[in-house]
Amino acid sequence: MSLRLAVAAALGALALFPLAGRDYYATLMLPFFGYGIALLGLNLLFGTTGLLSFGHALFVALGAYTAAFLTSKLGVLDLEVILMAAAVAGAVIALPTGLLCVRYVRIYFGMLTLAFGMLFYSFLLKFYAVTGGDEGMRVLRPRLLGLAWTSFSKVEFLTGPFYYYSLAVLVLGAVVMWRIVRSPFGLGLRAIRENAGKAEFTGVDVRRYRLSAFVVAAVFGAVGGALLPIPTGLADPLLAYWTHSGNLVFMLLLGGFGNFFGPVLGAFVFIVLQDQVMSITQYWRFVFGAILAVVVVFFPQGLTGLLDRRQRAGT
Amino acid sequence: MSVLLDARGLTKRYGDFTALDGVSLTVSEGEFVSIIGPNGAGKTTLVNIVTGLAPPTAGQMSFRGLDIVGAGPVTLARRGLARSFQLVNVFPALTVAETLAVAVCARLGRGRRFWSSLAADRAVHAEVGEIAAVFGLADRLARLARTLPQGDKKLLDVASAFALGPELILLDEPTSGVSTADKHAIMDVMVGAARRLGVKAIVQVEHDMDIVFGYSDRIVALHQGRVLADTTPDGIRRDTEVVATVLGKPRS
Amino acid sequence: MSWALAAGAPPPIFPLVLVGAGLGLALVGPVIERLLRTIYDRDESFQLLLTFALVLMFEDVIRFVWGTAPHQLSSAYLVYGQLRVGGLVIPVYNLVVIAAGGAIAALMGFLLARTRFGRIVRATAENRGMAEAMGVDVSRVYVRVFTLGVALGTVGGALVIPATAAVNEMGIDLIVEAFAVVVIGGLGSMRGAVAGALIVGIMRAVAVATYPEVEMLAIYVVVIAVLVLRPAGLFAKAAA
Repeated sequence: MSLRLAVAAALGALALFPLAGRDYYATLMLPFFGYGIALLGLNLLFGTTGLLSFGHALFVALGAYTAAFLTSKLGVLDLEVILMAAAVAGAVIALPTGLLCVRYVRIYFGMLTLAFGMLFYSFLLKFYAVTGGDEGMRVLRPRLLGLAWTSFSKVEFLTGPFYYYSLAVLVLGAVVMWRIVRSPFGLGLRAIRENAGKAEFTGVDVRRYRLSAFVVAAVFGAVGGALLPIPTGLADPLLAYWTHSGNLVFMLLLGGFGNFFGPVLGAFVFIVLQDQVMSITQYWRFVFGAILAVVVVFFPQGLTGLLDRRQRAGT
Repeated sequence: MSVLLDARGLTKRYGDFTALDGVSLTVSEGEFVSIIGPNGAGKTTLVNIVTGLAPPTAGQMSFRGLDIVGAGPVTLARRGLARSFQLVNVFPALTVAETLAVAVCARLGRGRRFWSSLAADRAVHAEVGEIAAVFGLADRLARLARTLPQGDKKLLDVASAFALGPELILLDEPTSGVSTADKHAIMDVMVGAARRLGVKAIVQVEHDMDIVFGYSDRIVALHQGRVLADTTPDGIRRDTEVVATVLGKPRS
Repeated sequence: MSWALAAGAPPPIFPLVLVGAGLGLALVGPVIERLLRTIYDRDESFQLLLTFALVLMFEDVIRFVWGTAPHQLSSAYLVYGQLRVGGLVIPVYNLVVIAAGGAIAALMGFLLARTRFGRIVRATAENRGMAEAMGVDVSRVYVRVFTLGVALGTVGGALVIPATAAVNEMGIDLIVEAFAVVVIGGLGSMRGAVAGALIVGIMRAVAVATYPEVEMLAIYVVVIAVLVLRPAGLFAKAAA
């Protein structure tokens, strides 16, 4: 019961946020929606299926560049179309890469996914003619629900219609992911995580399930990635760099991968923390590195893990 | 009675070493077959080959007439062949109910459903409940597998193989690690479960001769990769060669 | 394992001093090893994460100590002059680095194959339990090996500085390259590391000269190919 209350309260707070606070904070929250969606996907792969990908940023970047390509090169401005295209692009790229990657587990899976991520990064960086190289590719303001909102200034657009649109996409994504995790397919994934060998002998086609999880994660990554560059108006190769994948894993760990809401919480905390730390010191990397180290060594279950422990201790 | 498993001339070589040499095994409906033999005789190799863990170097296998050479465990489960393992194998963080549900969902073909809620699936719950009751695990449905005592883990492991609804089930040393007092109890549970759940034949690899002679319709004795004898328990007792190599000297 | 540290830029010129500076900085090795030790038992993915955390932290430590502007030692580079061979102009410093690289590789090979320490290291790598049972202080071996690895990284970084420049983000780029080298060469093989480094280095040079866009791409394609075809690497120890 208290979980539903917490989620409802969080949703309410998020919904009221732009109306109550300053524009700065509302725009700060915008990447949170994109990252939240991408992390829901990553958590399906790691938290539910036990595969830790160090190349998830590939799909985030793919989504971002899909948005950029569609808006600035093809003139397609409807965000609905863009999100669908990103989803399809994610699935198309995930199928062959997934087929290769899911044959391996643990560190080899991590290394393969990292290599693919860097492969995409090098492609984005070097093929200047297609991708704009290190200058990136522009992302134009999209149409939401068919409307161009031209009467809104950039800030008004971002903190108003776009904010609620992103929130809606995140909520929709969470509902979809919730149903997936709670389905027989989700149970099969968890069985694979617990004991892949036994799963195979309990009727679970491990290879196919892993591939499906990989593709779903990629789709979520791409959809989240498509939302990311809209506030800044620029899709950048660094979105695919391995440190970006590292950040995604960091957010996942921070929030806690054993819990459905962990990744979203992790994204939120990361973004808020990054903003706060950056304003205090220029050595934010050191602070973040230290936090990650502490989390990895002492709190691998993340914040939700801590909350779980306290709840259990309290009862 | 119809033939379920028909394996002929199974040979398995690892380089120079021949683990199995022309082993044939036929199992029909209603049979309880025990495979016995000293260590290194090839029992585990035979079971691994029949259940899809390793391919035979030579030979044929069919299940209900369909060729199963090279078929993986998932395909075999769908065709009606399941197995349990000697070493206890569980899903540590899943509950007893969830463990059984994995198998039941596979049997009912729910695997492709990634949208429907498992919690609301009454058919799955009913079957899980039935299987748990048959194995005496009904009061532990909500417990995590890793918190179960060793004996219950073994039961759960076997139960999840039964939950696949196979026609033939292969048990690899089902009473290993179980105290002598409990062995008969577990065997009775398994035979009862087989009857309740529609399993038509059981094949077991077993070292405990009391269990072997107490439950088997047929005994297959292996030695150095070959079949020494394949007959009724009485036939085995009269076969001096088997007695010498597998059973040790007869008690005078 | 694939620890690459961008060494700071010390004032003096001679390569020996560079090596000395690199060795001095390797003193951070034992400290880091003690930290990594806490998660040896966990999935290697966590170790990768912890290394990532350390990279982030070190990047800022370097920024703090030496500032954000790139440091150069081009004066040292030019002092060595150039060699004319046929139609090619080769900076002598490059030859010095190649010679140093070869010498260090030979030294490592000797260390592992001929010395008592090397034998202990190889034994521990093969079978930790057995080594412990025979009286080897495994923790000390780990610290020493790790520090040795760090030293190789810092010395390597130091030697490279005069040819390029010391930039804050060197470490991050280098990690992926080091990772590519180790994957291609094979974990657990010194010969593999040398071969991997040569392959990566040559591939980059060839790519830069022919199709510059393919430079990094080619390396990752090879990494993926190796991971798929021979996941243990080209020179990995044969499975026991």
